[in-house]
Amino acid sequence: MISLLWSITIVSLLATLIISVYGIVAKPNLVKKLIALTIFGDTANVLVVLLGYRVIYPVKPPILPELSKRALGEFVKTAVDPLPQALVITAVVIGMAVNILIAFAVIQIYRIYGTLDVREVGKTLPELLRREEA
Amino acid sequence: MNVVGLTPIIPILFAFALPLTSILVKGDRRIVQAYALTGTGLTLLSAVKLFQLAYSSKEPLIYTFGGWTAPVGIIYEADKMSALIALVTATLMFLIAIYSYRYLEGEAGLEWYYTLYLGLEAGLLGVLLTGDAFNLFVMIEVTSIAAYALVMYYRDRGDSVVAGLKYALIGAVGTTMYFIALGVLYYGFGTLNFANLSALVHGMSFPVVGKPYGDVVIASGVALALATWAFLIKAAVFPNHFWLPEAHPAAPSPISAILSGVVVNVGVYALVRFLYTVYGGALTSSLSSVVHALSVVLMLLGAVSALFGALMMLVQKDVKRLIAYSTIMHMGYLVMAVGIGTQLALSAAIFHMVNHAIAKALLFLSAGVFIHAAGSRNLEDLAGLGRKMPVATFSLAVASLSLVGVPPFNVFFSKLLLFDVFLDENPVLALVLVVSSVTALVAYVRVFYEVWLGKPRKEVEGRECWSMSGVCLVLALACVVVGLVAPYVVSHYVDPAAAQAVDYKVYIQKALEYAAKTKLGL
Repeated sequence: MISLLWSITIVSLLATLIISVYGIVAKPNLVKKLIALTIFGDTANVLVVLLGYRVIYPVKPPILPELSKRALGEFVKTAVDPLPQALVITAVVIGMAVNILIAFAVIQIYRIYGTLDVREVGKTLPELLRREEA
Repeated sequence: MNVVGLTPIIPILFAFALPLTSILVKGDRRIVQAYALTGTGLTLLSAVKLFQLAYSSKEPLIYTFGGWTAPVGIIYEADKMSALIALVTATLMFLIAIYSYRYLEGEAGLEWYYTLYLGLEAGLLGVLLTGDAFNLFVMIEVTSIAAYALVMYYRDRGDSVVAGLKYALIGAVGTTMYFIALGVLYYGFGTLNFANLSALVHGMSFPVVGKPYGDVVIASGVALALATWAFLIKAAVFPNHFWLPEAHPAAPSPISAILSGVVVNVGVYALVRFLYTVYGGALTSSLSSVVHALSVVLMLLGAVSALFGALMMLVQKDVKRLIAYSTIMHMGYLVMAVGIGTQLALSAAIFHMVNHAIAKALLFLSAGVFIHAAGSRNLEDLAGLGRKMPVATFSLAVASLSLVGVPPFNVFFSKLLLFDVFLDENPVLALVLVVSSVTALVAYVRVFYEVWLGKPRKEVEGRECWSMSGVCLVLALACVVVGLVAPYVVSHYVDPAAAQAVDYKVYIQKALEYAAKTKLGL
């Protein structure tokens, strides 16, 4: 039962990854592209947290109360691996910076072109360049 | 503090302190410029010192942050290859900081430009010096975010914001894929330290993580495939090249020079670190078949990329777009050489990386002098400007002849090395090199003809200012000098760098020496 749930989780995460990449590539609206990108980043983070998880009961949070052999032994037996979580925290912070930058660019494109559709932007771009040259 | 740890720290400190400083000096452009020159200059000094230390020592240099050794903490491990490329990077960043002042004289927000510029330099040096796969991810992100923002520097111009957005979207997807690769790698091996990973791959012992946790072959296969894809996006190799011809021209010319000369090297360098240091040397048969499959893919994509870049150069009207396609072509050569996987190929790749960085930066900078004067990137608008600006024209000539591979300029010698290596592997690859070089020659001759002999469409006030043309002249002389002493440079600097990069045993040994000192307080 547990292994079934486990495989369903992994398969659904992988499916989300693929769908979000499809969203980034295929959706013409820039805001939808940004949303798909955040979904992609978050799914990757969940996937990495999942890789560090272990099905063990009773589960304790990965906190080492004191530095001794006995506490360390208990830690290894009951805690999940905290390192992927540390990696994910870093990735979340970096992802936020990238998302804010992209959100800024989307707003700026809306100000310049008055549209968020990449097809419209693609059509308007050569006209804008020609006007600059003229 | 150790110079290995210090080199990326200096630009980070200068970058973070710059916004506050600029408020204190009320945005005085000259003080901001002096500040940026100090920042990049100190970094250059540090990189020179690092270069001396790395080349006088037989082993890689190590810095353990906070005294935490591998694999518990993040360590920086600089070998000769890192130090050589770091020196080139720091030198170019310093020279281009001089160039930027006049180029951006009409623009507001010089302090924000330099904040991002110093951040970019910190990220680049961090990528080159780090000894930890996760820190590599962080530093690639630092580099990328600064690069996305710098591409969007002309934020009121529609084309540069669109180009920056495209770059940011594809770049973010790439780095996220590298992050997934790290997760898989950690799941398989239980560590992300390069020395430790390499030790586990080669079946050597290492403290704390002595044996892999999971299936090494599957983990390596998945992780290498994802990581390579991410690095090929960063290096703009076909089919992940499409962001580059828009992003590089849209940036200000000094930034185009940095992006095309230095930032794309990040992808190739990371690939080299993985394929030569971690997965280099003798492997078990199943692992070596994974690495071999990857090499074939790299050679194929590199060859397609080189031909594609060369062909697209012929049809461009925008001079910076033409140069950007040439970058795709040269990245194709580098990836082909990396895919071959011998020490000789690596040494050719390193030498070509260095030469391409100098020549491509020079090409963008000298084209930037004309673009700055004419106010347009269109090749026809630049017609006839060459006769008014002799120094910039000379630099343009040196850069384009060098990139085509005309002796005695520097790129000729690295192309010669690449040709030898390709011929040994497969004559088709050598043919790709020759055909794409000849095609590129036609494209460059067209630019040069237009700039030198073309009839001016409108009267442009042409004057050369010493800070921009001077930087071009210095780089042009560097092209000639490196070309003239190429055999010496190869035997004294490039070959040792390649030899040390493939010598994974010394790389592991040095990290082990430090790791043996780890006391966990038990």
